[in-house]
Amino acid sequence: MPKILIADDEPHIRLLIEQTLEDIEDEGVELLIAKDGKEALEIIKNYKPDLVFLDVMMPKMNGFEVCQEVKNNLKISGIYIILLTAKGQEVDRLKGAEVGADMYMTKPFNPDDVVEKAREILFK
Amino acid sequence: MKKTNSFFKKIISRRNTAKILSDMAARLNIRILVTDAGDNIIADIGQDGEFEKSGNSGNSMVSYPINAGGDDQIGFIKGSEGCALVASVIDCIAEIESDKRDLTSELLSKYREINLFYDFAENINIRTDFNEMAKLTSMQISELLNADSILIILKNENTGLLEVVFAFGEGAEKYTPLKPEDAVIPERVILSGRAEIVNDLSADVELAGILPKKTGSVLCTPLRIQNRVTGAIYLINENPIAYTSENLKLLMVFSSQIAAFIENGRLLQNLQETFISTVYTLAETIEMRDSYTGDHTRRVMNYSLAIGRNLGISGDELETLKLSSILHDIGKIGISDSVLLKPGKLKDDEFEIIKSHTILGEKILKNIKQLNHIIPGVKYHHERYDGKGYPEGLGGEDINLMARIIAVADSFDAMTTDRPYRKGLSCDAAFSELKKCSSTQFDPAIVDAFIEAFPDIKEK
Repeated sequence: MPKILIADDEPHIRLLIEQTLEDIEDEGVELLIAKDGKEALEIIKNYKPDLVFLDVMMPKMNGFEVCQEVKNNLKISGIYIILLTAKGQEVDRLKGAEVGADMYMTKPFNPDDVVEKAREILFK
Repeated sequence: MKKTNSFFKKIISRRNTAKILSDMAARLNIRILVTDAGDNIIADIGQDGEFEKSGNSGNSMVSYPINAGGDDQIGFIKGSEGCALVASVIDCIAEIESDKRDLTSELLSKYREINLFYDFAENINIRTDFNEMAKLTSMQISELLNADSILIILKNENTGLLEVVFAFGEGAEKYTPLKPEDAVIPERVILSGRAEIVNDLSADVELAGILPKKTGSVLCTPLRIQNRVTGAIYLINENPIAYTSENLKLLMVFSSQIAAFIENGRLLQNLQETFISTVYTLAETIEMRDSYTGDHTRRVMNYSLAIGRNLGISGDELETLKLSSILHDIGKIGISDSVLLKPGKLKDDEFEIIKSHTILGEKILKNIKQLNHIIPGVKYHHERYDGKGYPEGLGGEDINLMARIIAVADSFDAMTTDRPYRKGLSCDAAFSELKKCSSTQFDPAIVDAFIEAFPDIKEK
């Protein structure tokens, strides 16, 4: 069963992505949730999701740190990571590339883009 | 609620719910069967065969419906009587999840709106063309609101009539021009400055006496800058639908953006007109001192523009050509009357002074940042194609294109206008003179373009 991890400390963003991905969930994809960076890393290691929506600004461990850990770990480095960041912090994009993120999304993101990207990564 | 089946299944299969179920089954030592509304088994938790063992009157299985706070059953918890507790916990979870889901879909639709506004705000700032802006805006509106036609209407300041300046949507073209019966609502909105929802046009008091009878629903918001209403956005649905006050608020956001855009455009146009007329006045002031009989500047500009268009120049470049041709002789402001206005032949040193008007022009324009780009056209309009001109003796394509064009236009006008000391040549005579000097004094391609374009030039 393909899995998607949604890691964001803001509950409304978690809910939004969950809701956006509802149809994909119905098609048999499991959605996993993490509320901070540490939890996100735990879940990534234990469940090896196919795709991670990873917020940059998170408590305990930020998105960059999580991303770097994942990408440096050969067993899980293939996991597709989409970093989420707030509008106006586009400088983060460079940093995101540095830590090996696969993609970068700016909040507020277009919900349709989220679905499209998820389908592309999971089903192609 | 749609997709109730998959919704309940999803709740049950979530890790935390699944854990609660198995914990309860173990603690209560019972078997729990979860089915959806269609009685299909979603989960079967707990000890096998518990149903048979626990019952002393045959089948003791009880079925507890799950409603999640709604009227419809979305599933069942089945098992022994101990399952009542399980069912109430699951019902409670389902209700919370259901509420959460409703709130989230509301949140998602708001989020989509915000996202569209972001897009819109980002894009509108880089648009300067009205049609492009209008199209973008209409497309955004049509994503958020139901409408067969979206009209952007402006009130003509001179005639007082409403004009559709942009129409979007299938069948929108039938509203251009706006018929009296279709103008009633926008007219009213512009007059009052208040937005309106009319969900049943046939019931509108003002429309009642008007034929043909209108049906459908409309949404109309004023385009307002401070206290001035310049027009309206008009959304029309041929079949009645229920527009809400929230729809209206949404449209208000767009209309204030459009109004600001239109106002900016108006101010920019004012500014440009002021700028051009200032430049023009300046040029005429110079011309007055010269020996021309008047309107030289305007004619050189017209000739230059005609050549430019013939050569395929457009947009900003054509604007540059216009300004350089208007101001080509601005340097003459620094030449003393005794030389500039001297009748008859000039001495060599006097001619040198006259020639310096090209350099003087550059000096003057250097101080005006907004006019820096026209310096080449002004400075080099006395260069010759064969390199024997002034001030730098440039030749061929090294001479700025604007300057090569102005050289032809300026010379032609000098030849064809009367001076105090001689009569002007006829156009044909001047043409053969231009041809004769083609490739020596003038760029042949520009002479050809001028002769080709000349019949189109409408002398005012």
